[in-house]
Amino acid sequence: MSWLPLSFGAPMVLWGLLALPVIWYLLRLTPPRPRTEVFPPLRILARVLRREETPHQSPWWLTLLRLLMAALIVTALAEPIFNPREKLPAEGSALALVIDNDWASAADWGKRVATAERLIADAGSNGVPVVIAFTAEKPNAEIGPFDASAALDRLRAAKPRPIPTDRPAVYGRVAATLERLPGASVAVLADGLAANGDEAAFKTLLEKNAARLVWATSDRLSVTGLTGADNQVDGFTLTAIRAPGDPAPAQVTAGAFDDKGRRIADATLTFAPGQATATGTMRVPFELRNDFASIALDGEHQAGAVRVLDESSKRRRVGLLSQAEADQAQPLLSPLYYIRRALQPFADLVEPSSADLADAIPQLLDQKPAMIIMADVGTIPAQVRQRLVDWVNNGGTLVRFAGSRLAAAGNDDDLLPVRLRSGERALGGALSWTTPQPVIEFPKNGPFADLAPPTEVTVSRQVLAEPTPDIVERTWATLADGTPLVTGMKKDKGTLVLFHVTPEATWSNLPISGSFVEMLRRIVQLSRNQGAAVANAEAAAASLAPYRMIGADGALVPPTPDARPLVPAAGLLPVTLENPPGLYGSETGVFAHNLLNASSTFAPLARPQISLPVTAIPYAFDESENLKGPLVTLALLLMVLDTLAVFWMGGLFSRRPRRAAATAAAVLIVFGGLFGHADLARADDSKPGDSQAIEDISKTRIAYVITGEPGVDSISRAGLEGLTRFLIEKTALEPGPPAGVDISKDELTFYPLIYWPIDATAPMPSQAAIARIDAYMQQGGTVLFDTRDQFSNGIGAGSASPATERLRDILGNLNVPPLEPVPSDHVLTKSFFILPEFPGRFNGSPLWVEASLDASNTENRPVRTGDGVSPIMITGNDFAGAWAVDENGDAMLPTVPPDPMQRVYALRAGVNIMMYMLTGNYKSDQVHVPVLLERLGQ
Amino acid sequence: MGRIGEVQAPVATRDALARGRLRASLVPDLLVEARRIVNTVIAGWHGRRKRGIGENFWQFRPYVEGDASRIDWRRSARDDHTYVRDREWEAAHTVWLWSDPSPSMLYKSAGAGVSKESRALVLALALAELLSRSGERIAWPGLTDPFTARNGAERIAAQLSHAGNLAAKPDLSAIRRFCDIVIVSDFLDPVEETMAWLDVLARHGVRAHLIEVADPAEETFPYAGRTEFTDPETGDKLTAGRAETLKDEYRLLYIARRQELAGWCKRLGWSFTVNHTDRLASEALVRVHMAMTADSSRPGLTSGHAGLTAGGDAGKAVA
Repeated sequence: MSWLPLSFGAPMVLWGLLALPVIWYLLRLTPPRPRTEVFPPLRILARVLRREETPHQSPWWLTLLRLLMAALIVTALAEPIFNPREKLPAEGSALALVIDNDWASAADWGKRVATAERLIADAGSNGVPVVIAFTAEKPNAEIGPFDASAALDRLRAAKPRPIPTDRPAVYGRVAATLERLPGASVAVLADGLAANGDEAAFKTLLEKNAARLVWATSDRLSVTGLTGADNQVDGFTLTAIRAPGDPAPAQVTAGAFDDKGRRIADATLTFAPGQATATGTMRVPFELRNDFASIALDGEHQAGAVRVLDESSKRRRVGLLSQAEADQAQPLLSPLYYIRRALQPFADLVEPSSADLADAIPQLLDQKPAMIIMADVGTIPAQVRQRLVDWVNNGGTLVRFAGSRLAAAGNDDDLLPVRLRSGERALGGALSWTTPQPVIEFPKNGPFADLAPPTEVTVSRQVLAEPTPDIVERTWATLADGTPLVTGMKKDKGTLVLFHVTPEATWSNLPISGSFVEMLRRIVQLSRNQGAAVANAEAAAASLAPYRMIGADGALVPPTPDARPLVPAAGLLPVTLENPPGLYGSETGVFAHNLLNASSTFAPLARPQISLPVTAIPYAFDESENLKGPLVTLALLLMVLDTLAVFWMGGLFSRRPRRAAATAAAVLIVFGGLFGHADLARADDSKPGDSQAIEDISKTRIAYVITGEPGVDSISRAGLEGLTRFLIEKTALEPGPPAGVDISKDELTFYPLIYWPIDATAPMPSQAAIARIDAYMQQGGTVLFDTRDQFSNGIGAGSASPATERLRDILGNLNVPPLEPVPSDHVLTKSFFILPEFPGRFNGSPLWVEASLDASNTENRPVRTGDGVSPIMITGNDFAGAWAVDENGDAMLPTVPPDPMQRVYALRAGVNIMMYMLTGNYKSDQVHVPVLLERLGQ
Repeated sequence: MGRIGEVQAPVATRDALARGRLRASLVPDLLVEARRIVNTVIAGWHGRRKRGIGENFWQFRPYVEGDASRIDWRRSARDDHTYVRDREWEAAHTVWLWSDPSPSMLYKSAGAGVSKESRALVLALALAELLSRSGERIAWPGLTDPFTARNGAERIAAQLSHAGNLAAKPDLSAIRRFCDIVIVSDFLDPVEETMAWLDVLARHGVRAHLIEVADPAEETFPYAGRTEFTDPETGDKLTAGRAETLKDEYRLLYIARRQELAGWCKRLGWSFTVNHTDRLASEALVRVHMAMTADSSRPGLTSGHAGLTAGGDAGKAVA
């Protein structure tokens, strides 16, 4: 489609537009289907309906709307892509296309091809020859000039390569070709990565025959590369780089794959803002790490984001040496038994075939092990000693275990970390005062610093180190008495370690503890393989055949025909078309050849500073836009419009008020459900008995104790009823009906005064109930005990009625303050009426209240001062009996003696008590009123 | 939105009978006011609260000279006067019942509890139960002649269930004067047709009680949008583009039809009751009950249009 920058992903779908006339025909014919309703009064309706004509066709605009909708959907299904581009000026005698097809261009190779195709098409329409060259191809590849169609063929045949560019060589060849085509346009389709010699290359290319430069590059370099993957102690450390100067943070995920391509581990690498390097660690078990074959960054489909791994990052080889292999009938006494069992899971064990040390050591060293463990080897033969020392100096790790042989052998400065005293030391033997020594915490400077100390390990025999100034820093594990258990030192590149005990469980129980495994494992991880062990060492040294290559898209592929055997050499091997990145060698052993190394960086390619006219173009499709989404959106909008129109025609909106109300209600319900949910915790905090409690405290009520004796309780109730009536009549206090309380379970704090008639025949209240009464008195309540026995006491001072006895029993369990009969200047005598005494049905019994010992009445005032209300009052006068009235208000019981005034006094006593309860010592302060008024007057 | 109205299956008569009985039990025994002292000699069970022929004692009356009645000597022996024993007059009355069996009655809208047909049958059978319980003669035009039976409603229900296709509009000319007829229908035919059909009753001096059973959807017209209406009787179809626009005009016509019919009935002294199927059947039953027991001589109910009836005498009586 040349007239519109529009391309279709599925152009055949556009034939569907032919269906539009059919749709139009169908739409015209079919009106919306009516609802059918049975309606008996049809004849009446018919008289109304005669005037209305029903439309038999959809209105034209609705048809148009639907046709448009269908057309939009058909077009959207054809996957249109809007792809604007500007034409290049038709100038120059030729077009020289220089395209980077290195690994960095692989991810968006299609864009580069599309851009180049356009340029070639323009050149073809201008009729100029095309020189096309790729910077990562073989140096002898043909570069033209071609005509446009041949150039297109070449372009389509080219593909990205997993190698860096070689700009100087290719540019040189293009420049040579251009010598015959002066005045050519040079189009550089760069990958954006700078390389060595760029400036000179551009100079060669552009200086002589170029007329103009077309410079195409991505606006941003978006490749990320993996430059390092190092097997560390606790994980695989990965290093990734990106183009410098990117201000945004970024995160990439790296995955580790085994040799079958299964993903077995992940790690996340985070680029800080502005940073070009990121590191991350794959924390996976050691055993799993040995299966890693390659590591790749997710989402990066290019060779730079993949690293292959070889033997150097895998399991350590550990050589085992022992001088005295015990007979196989007693394996547990073999010096190497525990070492083998400890190391087998995470190391390759290598054992010599010969028992003779002179043969065995060279055999081991040929395997280039990371570590050699010598179990109680005393003297090392002189002929192999130097090789062993060299191996240690070059990075080997030598671990030695003590034993009788070592103890007997002389000192060996080169192969022991410390000087040893000759002989061994026994702890806790039969003739020794000492006891076997436990291991204490590992020193901080050693490699075992973070291991938990093996508390269960004890050492009964060991070799001792000579105390030297540096003994402390060479000590990796210590016994409780300070002698070293494990010593180690760095020797040149290598490490020497000495366990001061035997590798079997004779000198200590260390070999049969879990810590032994951990310690060995730690040492193994510190060691490094000393080169690859290749079966055919001679041939391998010459060249390594390509085994698995990294493709340009980052996948592991079989070797390409261009790949040549790799010749290992010192230093970094160059990545070329002959030696593309990948694994070289064979199944038995491979060598990893990676594109990026630790020193790689991504420097962005700068446009060369030249005097030629320059046209900078973006890569194709950078500005293209997929129109499918907008078209479908438009079609959906039209569908909504169509639905609304159908509703309108169907008369849905004429009933708008009801509908709106319903909608509003629905919306409210939804929002209510979302936000307005009732807080259940707060909605109902009622407890059983709340209503009773609210009723009790809404009015002041006088309470009486239900003793369980019906006669007593009814008199109490009637008495308080009478007092209540009298209070209402005479005072501003209007109490509620009297409340009978069961002191063992009812809530008492609601009542200011509890009247308790003591009856000896009533059951004794329980301890718990008395405790409740005690608490009530402590909290400010008052209990009025009435023994009602003024005239039934026996003769004599010591005699007491049964009620008094009962009262004594009750009070024995209460915290009763000191008591006194109401003194004449007590506030009770004046709180409402002035009363010298407090009679009830009987007269003569004093009213006992709390003694106000510290109250003073120095100035001879009518009332003594003092705070508080007495928590207890005791009388024997039977108040309730005097107060008791029936429904008619008539007194129920006679007074003794039958004196009407005595009943009045009894009621007044009740009023005074109630006022005293409710006002406290307010009345005693009233005596100051004249003085206060006098002062206010001044 | 689902359909508003539907056509129900015809109701089972036994079911309608049970419901009719239930309704009837809510209404006190129907005592149809006899309008004529002379009209029939057929004895009914219920007393007329008047002296007459019958079996039950009514009153003792002082003997008057020339009285044809026998003196009741047992009573007369108790004092100085002579007494005659009167008996209470007991008489029966004929009431015709009919409910519309046409297909349009099968309609039931979403808001209604039952179909119109069901409601009409329930009303008719409830009246039959009431009337036969009080000893009246009941009949169903085109189905039975007047009969008296304690189980009159059951017999009518049985006959209805066995009857084939009943005439949509039975011949009413056999109904004689002084009878009552209860017509339960939806009266959706044009008023002129209904009047022409019922005119014979007016000419014979029959007192008629019209019960219009109406579905709420027919009255409120709750339709909206493009709607195709079907007549259940003729199968005619009408399509309204926007049904809600027709509502007001349709309601005017619908109410006007009812008022014209009601006015005509009032002129003739007949009762006209509307019962909606979303209301209780008992409401209509009570109203018809009241209309039947109302004293025909009450001036408020008397219509002056005697000319419409068969004769002047009868016209007054009918009112």
